Amino acid sequence: MSSYFSPQYLALLLPASVCLYAITPQKARRVILLLASYLFFWAVSGSLIVFLLFSTLSIHHLGLWLDMLQQNSKRELAQAEPDQKKALKAKAKKQQRGIILLAVVIHIGLLLTLKYSHFFLTNGNSLLRFLHLPAILPVPTYLLPIGISFYTLQSVSYLIDVYRGKIQADKNLFRLALFLGFFPQMMEGPICRYEQTAQRLWEAPKMTWNNFFLGGQRILWGIIKKMVVADRLNMFILNVFSGYDQYNGSVIALAAVCYTIQLYMDFSGTIDVALGSAQLFGVALPENFQRPFFSRTISEFWQRWHITLGTWFKDYIFYLVSMSKPMKNLTSKARKRFGPRYGPILTSSVALLCVWLCNGLWHGSAWNYIFFGLYHFALIFTGNLIQPIVIQVTERLHIDRNHLAYRILQTMKTTILVCIGELFFRAEGLRNGLKMAWRMVTDWSFAPITTGNVFAHGMDGPDLILVAVFLVVLFFVGLAQERGVRLGERIMAKPWPIRIAVYYAAICFLVIFGAYGIGYIPVDPIYAGF
Amino acid sequence: MERLLELLEEIRPDLDFENCENLIDGHHLNSLDIISIVAEVEDAFDVTIPTVEVIPHNFNSARNLWDLIVRLQEEG
Amino acid sequence: MKIIKPILGFTAFALGLLIILAGLSYLFVPRTNTQAAGMEEIIANGIQGEPANSIDVVVVGDSESYASISPLLIWKDTGYTSYVCGSGRQYLSYSKTLLERAFENQSPKLVILETLCIYRPIPSKTIVMDEVSRYLPILRYHDRWKYIAQHGWSTSGGEVYTSPYKGHRLNSKVSGVEPSNYMKETSNIAEIPVYNRILVEQIQEMCQEHGAKLLLLSTPSTVNWNYQRHNGVSALAQELGIEYIDLNTIPDQVGIDWSTDTYDRGDHLNHSGCVKVSQFLSNYLEGTKLFSDRRNDSQYANWNTLLQNYETDVSSGKGDQR
Repeated sequence: MSSYFSPQYLALLLPASVCLYAITPQKARRVILLLASYLFFWAVSGSLIVFLLFSTLSIHHLGLWLDMLQQNSKRELAQAEPDQKKALKAKAKKQQRGIILLAVVIHIGLLLTLKYSHFFLTNGNSLLRFLHLPAILPVPTYLLPIGISFYTLQSVSYLIDVYRGKIQADKNLFRLALFLGFFPQMMEGPICRYEQTAQRLWEAPKMTWNNFFLGGQRILWGIIKKMVVADRLNMFILNVFSGYDQYNGSVIALAAVCYTIQLYMDFSGTIDVALGSAQLFGVALPENFQRPFFSRTISEFWQRWHITLGTWFKDYIFYLVSMSKPMKNLTSKARKRFGPRYGPILTSSVALLCVWLCNGLWHGSAWNYIFFGLYHFALIFTGNLIQPIVIQVTERLHIDRNHLAYRILQTMKTTILVCIGELFFRAEGLRNGLKMAWRMVTDWSFAPITTGNVFAHGMDGPDLILVAVFLVVLFFVGLAQERGVRLGERIMAKPWPIRIAVYYAAICFLVIFGAYGIGYIPVDPIYAGF
Repeated sequence: MERLLELLEEIRPDLDFENCENLIDGHHLNSLDIISIVAEVEDAFDVTIPTVEVIPHNFNSARNLWDLIVRLQEEG
Repeated sequence: MKIIKPILGFTAFALGLLIILAGLSYLFVPRTNTQAAGMEEIIANGIQGEPANSIDVVVVGDSESYASISPLLIWKDTGYTSYVCGSGRQYLSYSKTLLERAFENQSPKLVILETLCIYRPIPSKTIVMDEVSRYLPILRYHDRWKYIAQHGWSTSGGEVYTSPYKGHRLNSKVSGVEPSNYMKETSNIAEIPVYNRILVEQIQEMCQEHGAKLLLLSTPSTVNWNYQRHNGVSALAQELGIEYIDLNTIPDQVGIDWSTDTYDRGDHLNHSGCVKVSQFLSNYLEGTKLFSDRRNDSQYANWNTLLQNYETDVSSGKGDQR
């Protein structure tokens, strides 16, 4: 099993666990969910499942430890004299922070070792060579268990939430194991918070036909996005990104746009399958996308794209950094020095920089990902900086910032900036990314597109037309969703003959227009590698 | 409460803090504003807003923020 | 009772879907075996363009098969007709499909399966797709929407494709190799994937049903073949009672010179290697006494023409351009 789109998942694991779930009594359902989850993990990563088991046990234990310390300190505080309270509180906080530190060292450390030691040691060797020292650092390569980047973030957020007093430590190892290992979220997220899913999974709600059809519809929709569009574009993208020096700027630009489309279709399609799968069981996982390409600014884009990662970084890095004592002091000082507008921008940008470095690194251990992070940092930072100026200018020119044309221009600007970012994201190394960008500037001609030459590299005219038509459909779907229309429920509300016809039509559409079989190379699940 | 409203209006003169109930959920305040607000409030009211209190609910309206400040002051 | 209704509902839904897909399949299956009609792997499927019951020997396999075996050379030596249903990186599941299609129109007395396919692991997706698309060909030919969108449903007046070399692909380039460790004897056995094993059994059954003998043949390749694999196929052949010939173990009878007889450093044989293997096969086929010489049969006259063209192509250096 390599993805949610493999027949083993769609035809075996998922239907089997749904059927078993449907016929077992409530108490046993959670067992089915956990067994299915571990079976899934084992089918993908084999014996590497020990990493997940280790994380689960360790987080459970650390959570209880933290809880014990909190109880003790509460008891001591209740008995203490008023003047001792502050000291006691500080002491307790210090102990608890020690545990958090330990947890972060273990779990993030494990992630860093498995995922990044190759990168750091290779670059260490380069540095040594640069300093004319022998490059002696051994460079190991580890096999990565599936989903480690995702469940590690869930583990850490759980512990920090316990520390912050937002949630109670869970005494129930089983519930925690299900929260961390639930199979629909394992491959590419969404990154869930304990209070969002743990209790619901534990309750293992009764299946309803409503949830069954809504979930099924969503899975089908996700498969269509992935197989009709993402896979269709793959050959062209593979060709251009692996041999960009044979193509001129316009083809590279087209490939960057295609990759952005592919990434969105693959990632959001996978998330659709994940959320749909969970919905079959009556479990609502948090949404991860909210029509990102309707965004007017980059910072809005990141509130609509990979939402659960963005909020994770906001809650556990951005506020952690910006609300720390020294940063708060800096904010106050900067406000006095640079005024209320630019002061906080300066200090928050420190936190923002941390977020984007982490975001880049989270995606992978390579310089082009770091560049990708810094690129978006730079865009958001400049956006914050010039926002007041833009307001002034537009007001002086009497431009209505809520006018449709202005909003469309903003959206287009954001989309172009995102596509440029994804070019570096996809490029095979930072150097190649820069070269590709350079080619777009220096070697531009529309000839390959006007002569149709571009269609000889893994994508033909009908492919492009099909993708374009699909995107137009998607645009109107998005528009309806922006207005609060819930299309899935709309379909459910129709009489059954119409619903059946819609399902048949969707399946036939997938069968005919899916990019599978001879002549196509399906794209590997992109985000599962992160 | 008066003082809080003054302070908030100084940070974002374009918003109606007295009546708006969805400052966060309606995407009126961004993270930059939150940082400024926390810094200013801590200065002005001599409280420490712990990170755990930085949640949408506490910042959705001036009323909620005021309740938070009062609660923190009582806790000392 | 509560469970009966949904089961009935799902069954009805699935049946309806099957009917729709069968209808689509009817619309999408290529009318003939030409590229324009939407056929895949047209050289391997070129056997559908041969007159009914005119082929004595059918070969299936991957690139090894179409590089090492030339039906026209066998024709020249023996007057037996053969066809190579070979395609690059062929999966055994597709070998089975090709053979199934061949049997629709032909009744060969011998089927040769080139053994490298037996060791090619088949992705689970391909297994499912190949198996399902035998019943619902829409899954294999769905991509014809592009052609249909441009040209409509009708296909150009029933032309068929025939392969000028009967499935063989000519390559005369030389890129020799000095093999090291090639066919070093060992008792280790390379394991055959479970599903491939089942497919060999199914192919064997299919041959029995159609009265054809099955032969497993390993053509010479220093890159792809070794003694572990030889042992694996030997054991399988013995177990299933299939005849097995490994040309890699009898270099003195085939006489491959690895410095001149390969075009990609031991991976595939070139024309001069192919001549030697075809020669060996001719002798083997004569030894079976299964076939009769058709060289003077007027119905097969065009084989002689094709042979002439082929020999012209060889001598004019056409095979050097590949």
